[in-house]
This record gives sequence, structure tokens and C-alpha cells, in this order.
Amino acid sequence: MPRLIFPLALAVIGTILFGDGAYIHAKAWLAQVLLERAFDRSVATGRPVKPWSWADTWPVARIEVKRIGASAIVLSGTSGQALAFGPGHINETVDAGERGVAVYAAHRDTHFRFLRDVTIGDVIDVTRSDGERFRYRADSSSVVRFDASGIDPATQDFELVLATCWPFDAVTSGPERYLLHAILIDERD
Amino acid sequence: MDNCDTVDSNGHPWLGRLVKVGLFLLAQGIAVLLVSFVALLVSFAPGWSATIEQASLLQPGDAKSGSLLLKEDGAYTQAIRLGIDVDITVSGPTLRTRVTQIFRNPTKDWVEATYVYPLATDGAVDTLKMVVGDRVIVGDIRERQQARAIYEQARRNGQKAALTEQERPNIFTNSVANIGPGETVLVQIEYQEPVHQSGNEYSLRVPLVVGPRYNPAPIVQSVDFRKDGSGWGATSSDPVPDRDRISPPVLDPANTSPNSAPINPTSITVHLKAGFALGEVKSHHHNVKIESPDNTTHVVTLADGTVPADRDFELTWKPVAEKAPSVGLFREHVGDADYLLAFVTPPSAEQATQKPLPREVVFVIDNSGSMGGTSIEQAKASLLYALGRLQPNDRFNVIRFDDTMDALFPTSVPADIAHIGEATSFVSTLQARGGTEMVPAMRAALTDTIGDTNMVRQIVFLTDGAIGNEQQLFETITAMRGRSRIFMVGIGSAPNTYLMTRASELGRGAFTHIGSVEQVEERMRGLFAKLENPAVTGLTAKFSEAKADVTPAIIPDIYRDEPLVLAAKLDKLAGSLEIKGRVGDRPWSVTLPLQNAAEGKGLSKLWARRKIGDAEVARTLREMTPEDTDKTILALALDHQIVTRLTSLVAVDKTPSRPEGQPLKLSELPINLPAGWDFAKMFGERPQLTPTQLRERRADAGQPAARRPAPVAPDAIRLPKTATAAALKMIAGLIMIVLALILFVFNRRQHLLTDAA
Repeated sequence: MPRLIFPLALAVIGTILFGDGAYIHAKAWLAQVLLERAFDRSVATGRPVKPWSWADTWPVARIEVKRIGASAIVLSGTSGQALAFGPGHINETVDAGERGVAVYAAHRDTHFRFLRDVTIGDVIDVTRSDGERFRYRADSSSVVRFDASGIDPATQDFELVLATCWPFDAVTSGPERYLLHAILIDERD
Repeated sequence: MDNCDTVDSNGHPWLGRLVKVGLFLLAQGIAVLLVSFVALLVSFAPGWSATIEQASLLQPGDAKSGSLLLKEDGAYTQAIRLGIDVDITVSGPTLRTRVTQIFRNPTKDWVEATYVYPLATDGAVDTLKMVVGDRVIVGDIRERQQARAIYEQARRNGQKAALTEQERPNIFTNSVANIGPGETVLVQIEYQEPVHQSGNEYSLRVPLVVGPRYNPAPIVQSVDFRKDGSGWGATSSDPVPDRDRISPPVLDPANTSPNSAPINPTSITVHLKAGFALGEVKSHHHNVKIESPDNTTHVVTLADGTVPADRDFELTWKPVAEKAPSVGLFREHVGDADYLLAFVTPPSAEQATQKPLPREVVFVIDNSGSMGGTSIEQAKASLLYALGRLQPNDRFNVIRFDDTMDALFPTSVPADIAHIGEATSFVSTLQARGGTEMVPAMRAALTDTIGDTNMVRQIVFLTDGAIGNEQQLFETITAMRGRSRIFMVGIGSAPNTYLMTRASELGRGAFTHIGSVEQVEERMRGLFAKLENPAVTGLTAKFSEAKADVTPAIIPDIYRDEPLVLAAKLDKLAGSLEIKGRVGDRPWSVTLPLQNAAEGKGLSKLWARRKIGDAEVARTLREMTPEDTDKTILALALDHQIVTRLTSLVAVDKTPSRPEGQPLKLSELPINLPAGWDFAKMFGERPQLTPTQLRERRADAGQPAARRPAPVAPDAIRLPKTATAAALKMIAGLIMIVLALILFVFNRRQHLLTDAA
């Protein structure tokens, strides 16, 4: 059956490739489930809790946009590893709720897919791992190059920036990033 | 298997094979095409999605200007045309300006036109006339909402109507409804204004264009708690709630060919009756013809007929004698009250006897995009001049701002050669770019770190004032001014005079305007005379017999060469007016007998206008509640028939003109970019001139600030890569699986065929 070998091989490679892609999504989804648990424990205990024993990162915050029912657990750091599991908090920036800009970045095709639906004026809730809750309002968006983000870490305001790749529908990665700027409007326990 | 096939394959086995191979190749070809098509899409994706989605994502609030222009196919030649005629009569201390706007509709549609235009800051607009054919309709003053309602009603009924509204004390909007195809409608407004005096120079200024304003994005809904600790407060959200109303579309100079007629052509005539023999009469930014039919009157007209409305018109005149009259007293009887306007120039103190106090001067320079072109050059030249004037025992600092800011030194430093040199090179390298976040810079300048009371603390603020959140700036000044005094230097061809005047008033300083590089030295010298010489302080005014309502209620300090201008409402014109104060450390007083006052025109309106200004200041200073302020303003405005932020003029033609069922199109008239401004700096790169991009350009122009400007921070944060290959892998995988299936089906079919054979 040599004639069948070529299509079979093609089918196998195709399946592997497809599976590989699907795996990224599966991993992103599954990780969020595990992270959700770790985060809840973290809030309860007040200490960083690793989602699984070999993880090199831990959840630091939960972002929610109630209007579109989106929610994601943010991890510390933005290594490629961390970003596969959830949005990452860029370590050079402040924590949510502090003076300055807190920057969270995530993949446009997984955790921050919902950013395209967030419109100016939407309320973004951020819960920190210490249980503090902050309410932000999206006030502008911009498209920048990754190395010229224009984010001013020394700003006097309380800001939040959600960053992801731009454009949303592209298949390959490019230099442009989409930034959603939000500003603290309310602080609650 | 059908018969034919069997026969075929039996008859020509090789032919059948060939057909199958051909079919296979065809399928392959289709698959390859598919893959390459996907690849193409991928490679183009960033390009198209960026332009289209960005526009919809970034400018949520600008559908108004965008959709508007689409209707007109993106071409302004189709839109309504406007001509402006300004006629000014100067009579002694006041001037009356009549602005006639000619709206011509060359289109085949019924049109509603709105035009945003500037007027003098302290002008009192009291008359609106609309001329349709040979009928003149005179407008009435009404509360703003009511006027709007009347106008809307007339608009719906197809009647011609005009509405004059105040957006800022120096920005007004005229709306004209139901201009028929090919029709021309004249709208005329008139306002009263005092003549400005400085030293022995008298001046008037006609602002002709509203410079595009930087409107900071809504930042946060902040809560202001009352100071009494009652726990009650008010929230304030958008710093510029009316951004749409003060952001008309702006023409890109590159799009208007030099041969075409100027947009918004303006003609200006000034009838100058100064009341004294005139010496030099000079127009600073326009070529003029000056004729004098008699000794006391001069008629000034533009030499070139009409000019595009892209810069302020400034006219100054001096008396023929060396010294200007140091006192002027004018009266007007309106209703049962007398109104009085007094000009007094205090004597300048002999400086020789006094050693000037050492000063701490904080220079703030605006290097935002609106300062691009010649403005930044003027600002830099002014600042460099100022640095050169500092004394060794002074201290100074330099702060520059756009939407970011830098202070040259952490705190004020002695003005020694090394520091001055450092400041000079800092200033020389400044470039105009970015937005205008003025409040943080003002806050930084007002922060008094040294607190040395032996030094006079002065802030010299160089800007064009092109911002829309004036109120925020005023509140900052009020809250933080402490012992600092603020001297505003207005830069460029069309600065925001309202901001400058009010800010220097609240900051107890003075306002200087620099309109061209040639004026830098002269004006800065004047400013330094003010900075270096003692002001006249502790001023009071007292009427011996008459009961008077004086404005300003608390007389500000007067700087060198500036006159004290008082307006008062009196119950009777009797007795005298005594003004007391201190020049340096010496007491000074002057008594003016009211009997000698000369007849003046429109003084009551000026008085009312200043009372309204006082009320606004009191509100900023929290001396008056907003409700009380509004009540006071409304009463004054209705009494004296002037347009304020609470009152508008509305004129309605009783006879309907637009036939029922005919649609009405809205046309926002474009304004010119102020002369010397750089379009690219304000609104980004120039696009190719296709209609769609023209639309985007307008959208951009209407909303330069809704988008948070990207501050140029050197240590900006690098963003991680945030796209996975998931989609790419899945697409490639799917294509391969589909290919494999096609192949498999073909093989199977071939198999069956050979079996059958």
C-alpha cells in the first residue's frame, strides 16, 4: 500500500500540528482552572500559592470585566512560560492599586482575546492576591510598537494598562501591541 | 459503477489513468492556491486591520464630525462658505465690534451651519441680528436651554434661525438653521469691550481663530470633599465635558491650493476715535492702510482687502504727546443707574532708592505639539532672554512640559554662570511635540520648596494656552498659589487669552502677549520691568457720596505701566472717587471728582461683564457656591442682555422657508490652523488624499486628545510578545488533514476502479 503512505503521513503531521495548536488553547484554559484555585487559596491564606508544584510563577491578581463576563488570573512575570498559562504582570511595573502604572500582558488569542470587546468606559475589576479589590475604568486605547510603549512608569495617577498583540486577527506575531488604558476609580475591600 | 466508465477504462486504460492524474494535479493546485491565499491574508492582516479597526477603536466620540463629512463626499468645496467682516469703532475707553458672518450655501441641499469662533475675553456680546433677503431679525437674550429649545423648534419647522452660544468666555458658536440652496444668510453679532492700556500704549485685539485645543482624556472621576469636614462632596469627571463643542474640524493647509480662495476670508475696519491726538498707530500682524479724515479719527483697513482668519488682529496706538494721560474717567446713564469706568495709571516708583528684593523665578515652557512652528521659537527666544536678565543673587528653575514634564533642577538653584549655561542648553534643545498636560506643570511650579520669605517667588509661564480644561488649571492655581505670583506669557498667533488673563489674575501676576519673534525682546523687557519693579499694592477705592457697586471688588496689585481699571454702578453721580494704595513702600492716593467724567458708551455692559467675571473667579476660589454663582450671572446677563455660559441669543424668522419634507443637512464649518502652527505636529502625519482618509483626518482633528497621547519616556516599558502560534498551527494542520483526505479519497476511488477493471 505505498500509495496510502503519503496521505497518511500528511494526515498524521496535520493532526500533530492541529493538536499542537489546540494544546496551546487547552493549556491556557486548563491552567486558568488550576490558577483559579491557587488564587482563591492565596487570597485566603494571604501568601503566594503555586498553582502546581513545579510552577515557576504564582497568581498575583484576578482581572474581571463584568459587562462581557470575562475573567483571568494574572501571573507574576511575563516569561513565555508564564504567558502560556495566564496574563503576566510586568515585574518592572507597580502592583494594581498603587501609584503608577500596573501593566498586565497576555496573548491576544487566549486570555486577552476579550480585550477586543472591551470598550472605553467599561469597568475593570482587579482583585489582588491579598484580597484588595480595585475598580478601574477603561479610558483610552492605543496601538504602539513593543519597544515604544509610551507607558510612563512614573505617572502620578493610578493607572492600569492591559497589553496584547495587535492586530487581533493576525495569525503571525508582529511588532505592534494594543494597549487598553484604565484609571482607578474606586478602591474597595 | 456506470456503464460508460467501465467501457471507457476497458477501451483506453492509459487514457483513464491520465484523466485521474490530471484531476489529482488539479486538486493539488487548488490546495496550493488555498494555502498561498491564506499566507497572503496573513501577511496583509496587520496593514488593513490596523487602519480600519484603529479608527473605530480609538475615536469613540467623533462620529459627529466623521459622518458629517462623509455626507459631503469629503470635499469642503461642497460645503457652506463663510465670509467674515469685522467692524470696530473705538470711542475713548471702549470699543464696539460688529462681526458679520456671511453664510453662503452653494449646495443643492438645505443646510444647517455651525461656526466656532473666538471673541475678546472681556467682550460683552449683546446683539444678534440675522439678515435674510431684505428682512432683519433681531435676536433676544434667553436662558441657554430655552434659547436652544426655541432654535430647535424653528429648525424643525423649517424656519430660518440663528443662535449664539458661549462655550468659553472667549469661544462662541453661531448656528444657523435652514439655509436654502444657493441662499446667503448674514449673521451679525456685536460686542462691547474696554480698550487695553499698558504704559502709554493702547491696544485692541481681535482673535480670529480658535486654536485647536488639547483636551485631556477623561482621567478619573475625582471626588472633591468640602473643606468643612461635613463629608459632603461633589464628583467631577471629564475635565473637558464639552470637548465636541470646542473642537471644530481644522483644515490641513497642504490641502488648500494657494490659488483657491482663502477659507473664511475676513475683512477688518477700525474706526479709531481715541479721544486724544494720535501718534503712532500700528498693526502688528497684518498689513493695513491708515487714513485720517480728521485729526481725532483714524480709519484702519486691511491693505490686502481680505485675509484668511488664521491669526489675531492686533492694533496699538499711542498718543502724540510723550506721556499718555494717566487718568481717564467715563460715565454712562442707563435705566436709573449711572455707570462709571475709571482708568488710573499709578506713578512708577523711583527704583534707584530701592534695592530690588532677590527673586526666585520658576520658568515653565510649553513644548507641546500646538507650539510647533514659530511658536516654540518665540517661546525659546523669550526664555533665553529671560535667563539673561537674571541677577546673580536670584534663584531660578526651568520646567518644560508637553504631556510629560521635566524640571531642569530638583529645586531652584542660584543664577550663577554654570547654572544659566546649563539652562540655556536645556532650552535650546527643546522641540515641540506631544499633548498639553498643563496642570501637573503648574502644580510643580507652584510647589514652594525653598519657602524663603526674603525672596519674591515668581512663576513665568510661557504657553499658547491651547487647552480645553481651563477650569482645572484655575483650580490648581487657587489651591496652591501660596505666595507665588504667576506671570503668563501668551505665545503665538492665536493664544487662549481667556486662560492667560484669568490665570494671571488668580495668580496675582500679569499677562504679556508675544505674537511674533520680533516682539520677543520688547515685550519681555516690559515683563521684566514688571517682575523687577515693585507693584502698587493694597489698593482700595472709595466713593465719597455715591453708593457704589465696584468691580473688581478686591482690587488686584498693579504692575508697572499697567493702569488700574475700575467699573462701578452708582446710585447718583456726585462726589468723588478716592483711590489709595502703596507704591513700593510709599503711600499713594488720588482723588477723582465724578463731575468731570466724560460720556462713554456701553459702560454698563462692561460693568456687568466684569461682575460676571468676578462671580466666576469667586466660584473658582470657593467663595461662592456654584448655585449662587449661576444665579448672580443669570440675573446680570438677563438684565444687561449679554451672552454668557448661561444665556444665549436666539433669532427666529417667523416665516417658514424650508418646504416640508425637504431634509436638512448639518455643516460644521472648518477653521484655519492658526498661522505659524504646524499641522503635522498637531495631527500627525499627512495622509494621502483619498476621501476615506480625509474622513479619518477629520476624525483625528476633532479628537486630538481623546486618545491618550503616548508620552515619550526614555525608559519606556518593553512589552512582551503576546501572540501564540496556535492559530497558525491549527490552520496549517487543518489544511494538511484536508489534503490527506482528498488524496485518500482519490486513492480509494482509483483502487475501486482498478478493482472493477
